Amino acid sequence: MSQRFNRRSLLRGALGGCAVTLGLPALDLFLDGHGQAWADGKRLPVRFGTYFWGLGLTDTPAGGSRWVPTTVGPDYEITPELEPLRPVKDKVSVLSGFRVIGDGRPNLVHWTGHAAILSGVAPAAINRMDGPSFDTRVADAIGGGVRFKVLDASASGKVVSYSTRTGSAFATPDTTPVELYTRLFGPGFQDPNRPDWTPDPSIMLQQSVLSAVTDQRQALLADVGRADRVKLDQYFTSVRELEQQLALGLERPEPCESCAAPPEPEAPKRGASIDVVNSNTRTMAKLLAMALACNQAKVFNFVHTPGASETYIPGESKIYHQITHDEPTDARLGYQIETSRLAGLVMEGLGAFLTELDAIKEGDGTLLDRTLVMAFSDTGYAKIHSIENIPIFLAGGAGGRHRTGQHIAGKGEAVTRVSLTAQQLVGVSVGEFGVGGMRTSRPITELMA
Amino acid sequence: MKRSIRLRVALALAAALAAPAPALAAWTRGFAVEWYEPAMYYGAKSGTTEPGTDCPAGTNPEPDWIKVLIDAGYTREQALWLRNPANPTRSPVHGQNQMAFRGAGRANVYINPTSTPDGGLVGVSGDIGEGLDLDDDPTTGFVSPTGERGIDNAFYRALGCWKTFRGPPRLSSGALSSNDAMRDGAWTMVVVLEGRGQDPMNDDDVTVGFYLSQDKLVKDAAGGVAPDYTFRIKPDRKLEAIFKARSVNGRIVSTRPMDEVWMRDAGMARELQLLKARLDLTLQPDGGLSGYVGGYRPWKPVYDGYVRARGPVIEALTWVRLPDVYYALRRHADYSPTGPNGEKTHISFAYRVSAIPAFVLTPDAKRSARATSYKALARPEDSAPEPSPFNVVDGIVVPKGAKAESLPESALLPPSSTTAAGGAP
Repeated sequence: MSQRFNRRSLLRGALGGCAVTLGLPALDLFLDGHGQAWADGKRLPVRFGTYFWGLGLTDTPAGGSRWVPTTVGPDYEITPELEPLRPVKDKVSVLSGFRVIGDGRPNLVHWTGHAAILSGVAPAAINRMDGPSFDTRVADAIGGGVRFKVLDASASGKVVSYSTRTGSAFATPDTTPVELYTRLFGPGFQDPNRPDWTPDPSIMLQQSVLSAVTDQRQALLADVGRADRVKLDQYFTSVRELEQQLALGLERPEPCESCAAPPEPEAPKRGASIDVVNSNTRTMAKLLAMALACNQAKVFNFVHTPGASETYIPGESKIYHQITHDEPTDARLGYQIETSRLAGLVMEGLGAFLTELDAIKEGDGTLLDRTLVMAFSDTGYAKIHSIENIPIFLAGGAGGRHRTGQHIAGKGEAVTRVSLTAQQLVGVSVGEFGVGGMRTSRPITELMA
Repeated sequence: MKRSIRLRVALALAAALAAPAPALAAWTRGFAVEWYEPAMYYGAKSGTTEPGTDCPAGTNPEPDWIKVLIDAGYTREQALWLRNPANPTRSPVHGQNQMAFRGAGRANVYINPTSTPDGGLVGVSGDIGEGLDLDDDPTTGFVSPTGERGIDNAFYRALGCWKTFRGPPRLSSGALSSNDAMRDGAWTMVVVLEGRGQDPMNDDDVTVGFYLSQDKLVKDAAGGVAPDYTFRIKPDRKLEAIFKARSVNGRIVSTRPMDEVWMRDAGMARELQLLKARLDLTLQPDGGLSGYVGGYRPWKPVYDGYVRARGPVIEALTWVRLPDVYYALRRHADYSPTGPNGEKTHISFAYRVSAIPAFVLTPDAKRSARATSYKALARPEDSAPEPSPFNVVDGIVVPKGAKAESLPESALLPPSSTTAAGGAP
């Protein structure tokens, strides 16, 4: 490798009286001989994403399940509700039997489950978490150096995100494919493979405007009370991220072999019917996948349907949430037939999402191989809002760190073990996660390569 | 010296008044209730909705909501739009508020149930029932599954074919939901037994106390409630039930009905008053305690509890026109506190209770609890009503400060005036 330049070297100069920096492309000089890592030994980027869907999967009051494989370890069987994951089965680990330990806090229905998974503690109040969601910790660890520290998207048209730094203010997602496309590939997008790149003076101007208010920002923070300070902190975090994003806009992006800006999607389909939500999921997955491949972001949060999912089958008058509660268990089959049917349709969304990530070749594998997607829900057995046996999946190779394709049976252990495992798999330097009865320093080592 | 003695006496008296007087108990046993549900005998062989000896036509079917709305004066187009998932006035969590306004003149049927006719909730027609003989008359009521006559449970007669209550033990949807909430920490109920004899299995003077606890149930790795944990009694000005009983071969039966006791309701009423209350519990070989606790409960709070739990949600999830519950309870009410000719404000009822061994301590955690009253130790804040997570007004969820009122006619149809896709046929 060159002694004078490495992949982080910048060429510095001036443009229109302004100082600019110019990044260098991913020259062979900087790569190892296998195309899997930089020549200085650092791996190609690992990405991380959360994928949330509402209402869990189908259990039965008698203890049966439509989704939990009967065997543990590798090569698990595909159960009826896991059928949509078959194409990517070998890249998906199934985690069953994990639960929320409330430490005396009541189950806040359609909230406690995922709030505990993300924040490590059963929340005291609905629509608030008692700490930041761990995706923000992942973003802080691996999400830098790209245009968007985190991307948030919601496929059902609802402004729903469970990503929070403060526990009280949540990220604002893009809610249609067009919105997401515009954010990713509209104004401000720089094609990393374009040969005639030049910095945009308007970006420099925007950055200067933001810098100019730094002192006022700090003064305002000093004047407000604690609650407002929390809100402002979340707001200014996004401002700082915007500043970093603008700064990156003044660097020439590294070429990305798999990056090809997609065409703009058609006008958004609105509505919560399952065909619309799954169609949006697939389209948004393509966009997110290309955003990762184009090195626009390394971390994302995706909400297929919110906790009390309002999705429904076109032509039906009942929504999924209602069906999980009101449908009796079929005496002969032992499960809720319509609920299970909808769960299967909802899982088609996850299957499509992962398939899109797996369709993009990157190096000697696929984008999914270099990504870890933690998919989870708010409940186990939705009929009674159970926070036991919450379905969780870890999908993707995490750059070779995830020993994929296994079924792990949690046997009543805390969901935070999965959250800790996910963080460690993507390289976050964290030794423990969770609070009280859910505090753990034990990752699931069977999943770690 | 005399002053010192007086001071000591005063302190001793103060201490005696501050804490319940120690009883002369020879033995005590503590338990935590791990499950309790209305005693509803299920007469079918499987499932939760199948026809059985209790309900020959099976569980009451789901109403045809389109027809219900049309019968209430809405056009078919309006009814379809109100039930359409794409209708923005239909909340995925709180349901369609307009369902409330189907009484005469668009009255709110949840708070004015008689503004709509009785739809006729089908009740139990079988002869077998669970519970207790509350009137000491073996010629009235059900026959228990073990052949005991005179089981008074009109609550079961009225509501036993309603989906929320129907099913084998521990499998009805209502029992699953409420007990799961309790097990996840919403509340805890403990039981203290004490006796003056030498043998808990056979003791003529047993006292049984039901109390709230300030400590939450603890689950084991399999999701069940773990035994042998310690619970402190939470004094409450109202919710406390103390019974006099005797035990014979481990079966603990009331020696006399208690005029009035109060417990934490496992249903929507939250507070359960029982008049002429009795119990029939059995010490189990595994150390647990199970059986029945019952009495005459006021029926109107049962109905009001469902209204508070959001009428559109209860109706949609439990397959019932809520006013029909009002009519059914009123029709089957069988007790008047003012005498045989008084208004029947109460209905016979029993809980099926299961408790596991536990260490039950006094509120200050300094000693084992006795089956005595702790009401005097309750502070006002200890008995504060449980807050509702939603702003429920007249049975529907509205923004704070808003009224519960019918939508204007213009909002009862989709914007295009044609029924959008997704409407029920």
